[in-house]
Amino acid sequence: MEIGRIFDALGDPTRRAIVDRLRQGPLSVSKLAGPLQITVTAVGQHLQMLEETGLVHTEKIGRVRTCRLEPTGFLALHDWVQDQRSTWERRLDRLGELLAETDET
Amino acid sequence: MQAPSVVHSTFVLKRSYPKPPKTVFSAFSEESKKRRWYAEAESNEVLQFELDFRVGGVERLRYKLKPGTPVAGMIITNESRYQDIEPERWIVTTATMDLGEKRILVSLIAAEFVETANGTDLILTHHGAYLSGPNGLTPPMIEAGWSKILASLETEVAR
Repeated sequence: MEIGRIFDALGDPTRRAIVDRLRQGPLSVSKLAGPLQITVTAVGQHLQMLEETGLVHTEKIGRVRTCRLEPTGFLALHDWVQDQRSTWERRLDRLGELLAETDET
Repeated sequence: MQAPSVVHSTFVLKRSYPKPPKTVFSAFSEESKKRRWYAEAESNEVLQFELDFRVGGVERLRYKLKPGTPVAGMIITNESRYQDIEPERWIVTTATMDLGEKRILVSLIAAEFVETANGTDLILTHHGAYLSGPNGLTPPMIEAGWSKILASLETEVAR
Protein backbone atom coordinates (compact mmCIF):
# COMPACT_ATOMS: atom_id res chain seq x y z
CA MET A 1 0.00 0.00 0.00
CA GLU A 2 1.52 3.23 -1.11
CA ILE A 3 1.86 5.54 1.84
CA GLY A 4 0.66 8.56 -0.13
CA ARG A 5 -2.77 6.97 -0.52
CA ILE A 6 -3.11 6.61 3.22
CA PHE A 7 -2.30 10.26 3.63
CA ASP A 8 -4.82 11.20 0.99
CA ALA A 9 -7.37 9.14 2.90
CA LEU A 10 -6.62 10.94 6.14
CA GLY A 11 -6.29 14.29 4.43
CA ASP A 12 -10.05 14.64 4.22
CA PRO A 13 -11.78 16.07 7.32
CA THR A 14 -14.89 13.90 6.91
CA ARG A 15 -12.82 10.75 6.74
CA ARG A 16 -10.87 11.86 9.79
CA ALA A 17 -14.17 12.40 11.57
CA ILE A 18 -15.22 8.87 10.62
CA VAL A 19 -11.96 7.43 11.95
CA ASP A 20 -12.34 9.49 15.09
CA ARG A 21 -15.84 8.14 15.75
CA LEU A 22 -14.77 4.55 15.11
CA ARG A 23 -12.08 4.90 17.78
CA GLN A 24 -14.82 4.47 20.32
CA GLY A 25 -15.95 1.18 18.79
CA PRO A 26 -17.63 -0.31 15.72
CA LEU A 27 -20.63 1.46 14.20
CA SER A 28 -23.15 0.77 11.47
CA VAL A 29 -22.98 2.95 8.37
CA SER A 30 -26.22 4.70 9.22
CA LYS A 31 -25.01 5.52 12.74
CA LEU A 32 -21.88 7.04 11.18
CA ALA A 33 -23.80 9.13 8.68
CA GLY A 34 -26.27 10.72 11.11
CA PRO A 35 -23.97 12.84 13.29
CA LEU A 36 -21.80 13.76 10.31
CA GLN A 37 -24.92 15.07 8.58
CA ILE A 38 -24.11 13.46 5.28
CA THR A 39 -25.94 10.83 3.29
CA VAL A 40 -25.35 7.13 3.65
CA THR A 41 -24.12 7.15 0.06
CA ALA A 42 -21.50 9.77 0.86
CA VAL A 43 -20.36 7.81 3.91
CA GLY A 44 -20.12 4.74 1.69
CA GLN A 45 -17.75 6.53 -0.67
CA HIS A 46 -15.54 7.65 2.18
CA LEU A 47 -15.60 4.17 3.68
CA GLN A 48 -14.53 2.70 0.37
CA MET A 49 -11.38 4.79 0.38
CA LEU A 50 -10.73 4.05 4.05
CA GLU A 51 -11.11 0.33 3.34
CA GLU A 52 -8.82 0.44 0.31
CA THR A 53 -6.11 2.08 2.38
CA GLY A 54 -6.44 -0.45 5.21
CA LEU A 55 -7.69 2.00 7.81
CA VAL A 56 -11.23 0.66 8.19
CA HIS A 57 -12.85 -2.74 7.80
CA THR A 58 -16.54 -3.15 7.01
CA GLU A 59 -18.69 -6.23 7.14
CA LYS A 60 -22.28 -6.81 6.10
CA ILE A 61 -24.24 -9.00 8.47
CA GLY A 62 -27.80 -9.43 7.27
CA ARG A 63 -28.92 -5.98 6.19
CA VAL A 64 -26.54 -3.99 8.36
CA ARG A 65 -23.04 -2.91 7.31
CA THR A 66 -20.79 -2.52 10.33
CA CYS A 67 -17.52 -0.59 10.32
CA ARG A 68 -14.52 -0.81 12.60
CA LEU A 69 -10.92 0.45 12.57
CA GLU A 70 -8.35 -1.80 10.91
CA PRO A 71 -4.71 -1.86 12.07
CA THR A 72 -3.00 -2.32 8.70
CA GLY A 73 -3.09 1.25 7.40
CA PHE A 74 -2.19 2.72 10.78
CA LEU A 75 0.77 0.41 11.09
CA ALA A 76 2.02 1.50 7.67
CA LEU A 77 1.75 5.10 8.84
CA HIS A 78 3.56 4.21 12.01
CA ASP A 79 6.34 2.46 10.08
CA TRP A 80 6.72 5.43 7.77
CA VAL A 81 7.25 7.77 10.65
CA GLN A 82 9.63 5.36 12.28
CA ASP A 83 11.69 4.81 9.15
CA GLN A 84 14.86 6.15 10.64
CA ARG A 85 17.22 4.75 8.05
CA SER A 86 15.64 6.78 5.23
CA THR A 87 15.43 9.83 7.47
CA TRP A 88 19.14 9.65 8.18
CA GLU A 89 20.00 8.90 4.53
CA ARG A 90 18.28 12.15 3.57
CA ARG A 91 19.98 14.03 6.40
CA LEU A 92 23.42 12.85 5.30
CA ASP A 93 22.59 13.85 1.72
CA ARG A 94 21.75 17.34 2.91
CA LEU A 95 24.95 17.40 4.99
CA GLY A 96 26.89 16.63 1.81
CA GLU A 97 25.21 19.55 0.04
CA LEU A 98 25.89 21.90 2.94
CA LEU A 99 29.56 20.89 3.07
CA ALA A 100 29.92 21.39 -0.67
CA GLU A 101 28.63 24.95 -0.33
CA THR A 102 31.18 26.15 2.17
CA ASP A 103 34.49 27.70 1.19
CA GLU A 104 36.28 26.07 4.09
CA THR A 105 38.84 23.41 3.17
CA MET B 1 -4.62 -10.46 22.86
CA GLN B 2 -0.86 -10.08 22.51
CA ALA B 3 1.11 -7.63 24.57
CA PRO B 4 2.94 -4.76 22.82
CA SER B 5 6.49 -5.65 21.92
CA VAL B 6 9.79 -3.89 21.36
CA VAL B 7 11.45 -4.32 17.98
CA HIS B 8 15.21 -3.84 17.85
CA SER B 9 16.98 -2.73 14.72
CA THR B 10 20.46 -1.46 13.88
CA PHE B 11 21.70 0.20 10.74
CA VAL B 12 25.03 1.70 9.72
CA LEU B 13 25.36 4.43 7.12
CA LYS B 14 28.69 5.48 5.62
CA ARG B 15 29.49 8.59 3.65
CA SER B 16 32.67 10.15 2.34
CA TYR B 17 32.91 13.93 2.28
CA PRO B 18 35.78 15.82 0.58
CA LYS B 19 36.35 18.01 3.64
CA PRO B 20 38.59 17.54 6.70
CA PRO B 21 37.17 16.01 9.91
CA LYS B 22 37.26 19.41 11.62
CA THR B 23 34.81 20.82 9.05
CA VAL B 24 32.48 17.84 9.03
CA PHE B 25 32.51 17.73 12.83
CA SER B 26 31.57 21.41 13.00
CA ALA B 27 28.41 20.63 11.02
CA PHE B 28 27.38 18.53 14.03
CA SER B 29 28.61 20.82 16.80
CA GLU B 30 27.38 24.20 15.56
CA GLU B 31 23.65 24.75 15.92
CA SER B 32 23.17 26.96 12.83
CA LYS B 33 24.97 24.41 10.63
CA LYS B 34 23.30 21.35 12.10
CA ARG B 35 19.86 22.87 11.76
CA ARG B 36 20.21 23.11 8.00
CA TRP B 37 20.89 19.44 7.31
CA TYR B 38 19.50 17.70 10.38
CA ALA B 39 16.39 19.65 11.35
CA GLU B 40 15.17 21.14 8.12
CA ALA B 41 13.58 19.04 5.40
CA GLU B 42 11.08 19.71 2.63
CA SER B 43 8.33 17.86 4.42
CA ASN B 44 8.94 19.48 7.81
CA GLU B 45 8.13 22.72 9.50
CA VAL B 46 10.65 23.11 12.32
CA LEU B 47 8.92 24.24 15.50
CA GLN B 48 11.95 24.11 17.76
CA PHE B 49 15.62 23.25 17.38
CA GLU B 50 18.24 23.89 19.96
CA LEU B 51 21.42 22.14 20.88
CA ASP B 52 23.71 22.26 23.87
CA PHE B 53 26.84 20.62 22.50
CA ARG B 54 28.63 19.16 25.53
CA VAL B 55 28.61 15.85 27.38
CA GLY B 56 25.36 15.84 29.31
CA GLY B 57 23.88 18.52 27.08
CA VAL B 58 20.53 18.05 25.37
CA GLU B 59 19.47 18.65 21.80
CA ARG B 60 15.78 19.16 21.10
CA LEU B 61 14.06 19.01 17.73
CA ARG B 62 10.31 19.43 17.29
CA TYR B 63 8.77 19.52 13.86
CA LYS B 64 5.42 19.32 12.18
CA LEU B 65 4.70 17.49 8.97
CA LYS B 66 3.58 19.95 6.33
CA PRO B 67 0.30 19.80 4.43
CA GLY B 68 0.57 17.73 1.30
CA THR B 69 2.73 15.21 3.09
CA PRO B 70 1.53 12.23 5.03
CA VAL B 71 -0.68 13.15 7.96
CA ALA B 72 -0.14 16.87 7.84
CA GLY B 73 0.02 18.38 11.27
CA MET B 74 1.62 15.42 13.02
CA ILE B 75 4.14 16.71 15.54
CA ILE B 76 7.35 14.80 16.14
CA THR B 77 9.73 15.46 19.03
CA ASN B 78 13.29 14.18 19.04
CA GLU B 79 15.30 14.66 22.20
CA SER B 80 18.96 13.64 22.32
CA ARG B 81 21.49 13.67 25.12
CA TYR B 82 25.21 13.85 24.33
CA GLN B 83 26.84 10.92 26.12
CA ASP B 84 30.38 11.19 24.79
CA ILE B 85 32.19 13.67 22.56
CA GLU B 86 35.69 13.19 21.24
CA PRO B 87 36.33 16.30 19.14
CA GLU B 88 36.77 15.56 15.44
CA ARG B 89 36.61 11.83 16.22
CA TRP B 90 33.16 10.83 17.48
CA ILE B 91 29.86 11.88 19.02
CA VAL B 92 27.65 9.42 20.89
CA THR B 93 24.08 10.26 21.85
CA THR B 94 21.02 8.57 23.30
CA ALA B 95 17.73 9.79 21.90
CA THR B 96 13.96 9.50 22.09
CA MET B 97 11.35 10.11 19.43
CA ASP B 98 7.75 10.96 20.27
CA LEU B 99 4.83 11.02 17.87
CA GLY B 100 2.39 13.46 19.43
CA GLU B 101 2.62 12.40 23.04
CA LYS B 102 3.46 8.79 22.40
CA ARG B 103 7.05 7.58 22.70
CA ILE B 104 7.76 5.41 19.68
CA LEU B 105 11.54 5.03 19.65
CA VAL B 106 14.54 5.05 21.97
CA SER B 107 17.93 4.96 20.26
CA LEU B 108 21.69 4.98 20.66
CA ILE B 109 23.46 6.87 17.89
CA ALA B 110 27.17 7.13 17.18
CA ALA B 111 28.71 9.40 14.55
CA GLU B 112 32.37 8.64 13.81
CA PHE B 113 34.67 10.87 11.79
CA VAL B 114 37.58 9.10 10.11
CA GLU B 115 40.30 11.09 8.38
CA THR B 116 41.15 9.83 4.91
CA ALA B 117 43.36 10.97 2.04
CA ASN B 118 40.30 12.51 0.37
CA GLY B 119 38.72 14.09 3.39
CA THR B 120 36.49 12.40 5.96
CA ASP B 121 34.57 9.16 6.17
CA LEU B 122 31.46 9.56 8.31
CA ILE B 123 30.09 6.40 9.89
CA LEU B 124 26.65 6.71 11.46
CA THR B 125 25.48 3.77 13.59
CA HIS B 126 21.89 3.77 14.84
CA HIS B 127 20.61 1.19 17.33
CA GLY B 128 16.87 1.56 17.85
CA ALA B 129 14.31 0.08 20.21
CA TYR B 130 11.06 0.63 18.31
CA LEU B 131 8.15 0.66 20.71
CA SER B 132 4.72 -0.84 20.04
CA GLY B 133 6.07 -2.40 16.86
CA PRO B 134 3.92 -4.24 14.36
CA ASN B 135 3.98 -7.48 16.32
CA GLY B 136 1.10 -7.83 18.71
CA LEU B 137 -0.73 -4.59 18.12
CA THR B 138 -4.48 -4.91 18.26
CA PRO B 139 -7.12 -2.39 17.12
CA PRO B 140 -7.91 -1.24 20.69
CA MET B 141 -4.22 -0.53 21.35
CA ILE B 142 -3.78 1.27 18.09
CA GLU B 143 -6.86 3.32 18.80
CA ALA B 144 -5.60 4.22 22.25
CA GLY B 145 -2.18 5.16 20.95
CA TRP B 146 -3.44 7.11 18.02
CA SER B 147 -6.32 8.92 19.63
CA LYS B 148 -4.11 11.75 20.83
CA ILE B 149 -2.35 11.93 17.51
CA LEU B 150 -5.59 12.17 15.62
CA ALA B 151 -6.82 14.78 18.07
CA SER B 152 -3.77 16.97 17.57
CA LEU B 153 -3.98 16.36 13.83
CA GLU B 154 -7.55 17.56 13.64
CA THR B 155 -6.74 20.63 15.67
CA GLU B 156 -3.80 21.49 13.46
CA VAL B 157 -5.59 20.99 10.19
CA ALA B 158 -8.59 22.96 11.37
CA ARG B 159 -6.45 26.10 11.74
